Amino acid sequence: MAIIKTKSTPPREAPLSERSLIGWMHKHLFSSVFNSILTIFTVCVLYITLKGLWAWGIVDAVWIADSRRQCFEISSGGACWAGVFDWLENIFYGRYPRDELWRINLGGLLLLLWIAPLWLPRVKAKVFIALSTMFLYPFLAGYLFAGGGKGVFMQMMISLSILCLLGNTLHAAIGMIKGISLSEFLTRLFSKKNWHRKTEHCLLLGLFLICFCVVYFWQMSWQIEAVAWTQWGGLFLTLVVSGIGIASALPGGILLALGRRSKLPLIRILSISFIELFRSVPLITVLFMATTMFPLFMPEGFALNKLAQVIIAVCLFNACYMAETVRAGLQTIPKGQYEGAHSIGLGYWQTMGAVIMPQALKNMIPNIVGSYIGLLKDTTLVSIIGLFDVLGMLRSVSKDVVWLGMHKEPLVFGAILFFLICFAMSKYSRHIEQKLLTGHKNVTANKRKK
Amino acid sequence: MMNDAITSIEREQLISAASNEIIIEMETVNKWYSDFHVLKDINLVVRKGERIVICGPSGSGKSTLIRCLNHLEEHQEGNIIVDGITLDKNLKHIDHIRTEVGMVFQNFNLFPHLSILDNLTLGPILTRKMPKLEAQAEAMKYLERVKIPEQADKFPGQLSGGQQQRVAIARSLCMKPKIMLFDEPTSALDPEMIKEVLDVMIELADTGMTMIVVTHEMAFAETVADRVIFMDQGEIIEENEPKKFFNDPQHERTKLFLSQIL
Amino acid sequence: MAINDNAKPSKPICSKDKFDFFNDERARSFLYQFMTAVVVIFCVWYLYSNTAHNLAVRDMSTGFDFLSISAGFDPSFTLLAYEPGVGTYADIYLIGILNTLFVSVLAIIASTSLGFFIGMMRLSNNWLVSKVALAYVEIFRNTPLLIQLVFWYIAVFSILPKVRNSIDLSAGAEVLLLNNRGLYMAWPVPGDLFWMTGLALIIAGAGVVFFRRRAKKKRDLTGQVTPTFIASLALLFFLPGSVYLLTGSPLSWDIPKLEGFNFSGGAALPPAFLTLLVALTIYHAAYFAESVRAGVLSVNQGQKDAAHAIGLKPMQMATYVIIPQAMPAIVPPMISLWMNTVKNSSLAIAIGYSDLVSLFMQTSLNQLGHAIEIVGMTMAFYMSISLFISWMLNIYNKRVQLVER
Repeated sequence: MAIIKTKSTPPREAPLSERSLIGWMHKHLFSSVFNSILTIFTVCVLYITLKGLWAWGIVDAVWIADSRRQCFEISSGGACWAGVFDWLENIFYGRYPRDELWRINLGGLLLLLWIAPLWLPRVKAKVFIALSTMFLYPFLAGYLFAGGGKGVFMQMMISLSILCLLGNTLHAAIGMIKGISLSEFLTRLFSKKNWHRKTEHCLLLGLFLICFCVVYFWQMSWQIEAVAWTQWGGLFLTLVVSGIGIASALPGGILLALGRRSKLPLIRILSISFIELFRSVPLITVLFMATTMFPLFMPEGFALNKLAQVIIAVCLFNACYMAETVRAGLQTIPKGQYEGAHSIGLGYWQTMGAVIMPQALKNMIPNIVGSYIGLLKDTTLVSIIGLFDVLGMLRSVSKDVVWLGMHKEPLVFGAILFFLICFAMSKYSRHIEQKLLTGHKNVTANKRKK
Repeated sequence: MMNDAITSIEREQLISAASNEIIIEMETVNKWYSDFHVLKDINLVVRKGERIVICGPSGSGKSTLIRCLNHLEEHQEGNIIVDGITLDKNLKHIDHIRTEVGMVFQNFNLFPHLSILDNLTLGPILTRKMPKLEAQAEAMKYLERVKIPEQADKFPGQLSGGQQQRVAIARSLCMKPKIMLFDEPTSALDPEMIKEVLDVMIELADTGMTMIVVTHEMAFAETVADRVIFMDQGEIIEENEPKKFFNDPQHERTKLFLSQIL
Repeated sequence: MAINDNAKPSKPICSKDKFDFFNDERARSFLYQFMTAVVVIFCVWYLYSNTAHNLAVRDMSTGFDFLSISAGFDPSFTLLAYEPGVGTYADIYLIGILNTLFVSVLAIIASTSLGFFIGMMRLSNNWLVSKVALAYVEIFRNTPLLIQLVFWYIAVFSILPKVRNSIDLSAGAEVLLLNNRGLYMAWPVPGDLFWMTGLALIIAGAGVVFFRRRAKKKRDLTGQVTPTFIASLALLFFLPGSVYLLTGSPLSWDIPKLEGFNFSGGAALPPAFLTLLVALTIYHAAYFAESVRAGVLSVNQGQKDAAHAIGLKPMQMATYVIIPQAMPAIVPPMISLWMNTVKNSSLAIAIGYSDLVSLFMQTSLNQLGHAIEIVGMTMAFYMSISLFISWMLNIYNKRVQLVER
């Protein structure tokens, strides 16, 4: 009765129906009569749409021309991308003085330089790098973009941020080469073995002060030309507004979310009403409120420019949305985590900062990035209240005498531009999520899903 | 009146327990998950009334094997004949076989939005076209058989794991299946609940039901099974009567496995 | 034994005789709240005094008297009878609200249906169909609604033909005409005895309900299935139809006619309205499709296995197992998407559809000032919609909890 298999069967390759292209097509496209009809129908629809788009956007399109009239002469049925190319600088930089464009580019480069270490594997103290980007970079970039005379405060902040940027870069380089942080490197370089920790700290502080003074005096020697905010525009303005919104939304959102979950009734009620007020109204009404009511709220003689009003409105609005995202993240944290943190004696802020928030934010990365994408898209609304952001510039192409009446192409270009940015952001957030997930979840769980 | 009908069926099953009628036949069945070869040349014959226990290390393809029997998974090569019907792409055959084969899952898979009674009557009403009242009466009978008639109006979430698994068994029985498949029915349960589920299963075995059970409960295998099948890496390594299987395993891998779990 | 049992705490952590103000929980919570209150009150007072001062300096009046002033401008689209110069700003407010609600409700219905359809496509086991749906979702979710809106307005609705060359959507009957002035359609005008047809419709509806109940009862008792669908459709169709014919077809159509440069008669929807409707529908359908998909995918695979194992067919599995369980995951995001649709309808301002924001917050505010009152009233409207929607959500959540316990 007993059956025993002595030889084990070696695994064979799957039959052709499992792995060949035809097998795959049979399984995924033509598994039943209905599915086959559906596939053929979809192919037809796709063919017609894509063919039309292809012809309009690529084959019949005009890439080089001097005016819309010329476009029409070359090809009447295609897109006139020449107009978009002609306006490219305007779309990206708005009416910013052409001689000063290097400032915007430099600002972007400095930002890249600042945050690049976050992606380098061996660099330490990444939280510090991120925080310094959030709090110091705006001063440097703000001055680069606006220019003009510097007040004492501005001078301090600018020198601080230049110093910080230099330190950051050095820190990253040392980290990549030796795997240690800058301060550690400096202590090893200068201090002697028998030095006390306190002396080491004093040394570091001294070094910092010396560098600070050098930078401070250096930056006093130059000044850049002022550019009025009315000249800001294009994608640059969109990125400035949304960048400030993105940088401030998370801290604001965390504070509001904590306030909403606070045990203190007054703080809770205030947070709830603030959040709900902003979440229940459209952004455009908040923008209108900012431009019509801020002047009334401010003391007489104190005039805030429109850009600042808009930025404040965008920040408040998005902090409230972020608060709800953070709250949803906090709700995913089981009670045991709080109990665990309390049991090792952590206080409220320590529990939140070291245990709860990191997990909550990690769980919410796709949602946080989702609301960033929403913010970026919503920024186009500032064109309604008269700022020349990227949409404003795209719409003014058609008012240019040379390109009069050309509406479609700039808008399609703008849509593609936004799509690329937003799609990249959301894909990247999924990638990070996957990367973080693999550490926690069992990989074999996915095996059964064919 | 219904009672009589049931007992007569049960009697029939008891008589046929020793019969030679073949109810399940697997011929060189092969299955792949994309490139992974999960079932390798499986040959298995089950007679009516037989009780078979399948064991083996995790990932050996036990669950996949019994999931193929009611076409929850599709096999790519070989034949599976259940109750005289060959499993192929014909949807009618699949529907028919699924009403003839009951299945109990590791995680119970009760429908959380339906009450216990509705869980039990859903299948009979929809697939057997049974009148609702009759289906409910029937369902109550099976709930009594698994000893929890008082829970009929509750929802699955309000029951303990053992109770839920017993409800799941009753749900399968309501379809009056010819074959019952159990996919590790006790491995998601707390130790003190395992016994109540095993008791129900032993009782079911005594009625002469054809059963295929994937489990690591060796005591259950020893008392109930007619045959024990040991699987590893997607193939049947050893097949024997329970006494011989446990006392005198032949294959090296069987010995290793038994030494680890006993 | 490494643990020293006799060790006493070297310092009592909480001594009763010394009241430590800063570490007492209640005192601390009071202090925090007191400080918050002081800051908030100061801010409110500061803003209030500034505003009062500014208003006084600029010699601006406050109060809601302006609502009874007659508004001199003409909202391009209105659902109410309104005459420029006679109607007041209160009328304008009302017209704005109605216009916003009108386009939002239509957009909600359309986007929910389209989104459901796209979501189903996304879940299809046909690879191509599911990828097409994915492309739809990604494209429309990752571009700003405002760009889409302007694009539809300029690229699609502005290239519609002139009035004389209107596109006839009703294939020659000239009851549904599309041109660059908008969509013109025939409008029914009920006659004297039309109420009888309505009554017949109600009776037929009641009959269908009764009929289906009986069929269900019969099924519960005997297990026999009575096909009800065709019978009830016939009842719904023939009873009102025959009454309508017997009473002498008491319904006439007001058909749009070309008079001079424009159509008169019938009902007309302006291009801005159509654009807004199309843009809102397409944009929100993409979001809704994703929530449908997420909801359906949230149902455990084991549930499907179990439904298969008891022999349910795909349709039965969907209606009795999948949908009831997916609904609690779909409905809350769906309701908040509805809220978003109402809010996003305010983008109407970019293409000149006269919704609440463009009529009241822009035009009226420019004409009158009264920023605080007008902004407040506009926001109050959106907030009450939001309250209404969260009330609906609460009711739904309570019902779900009741069912699943």
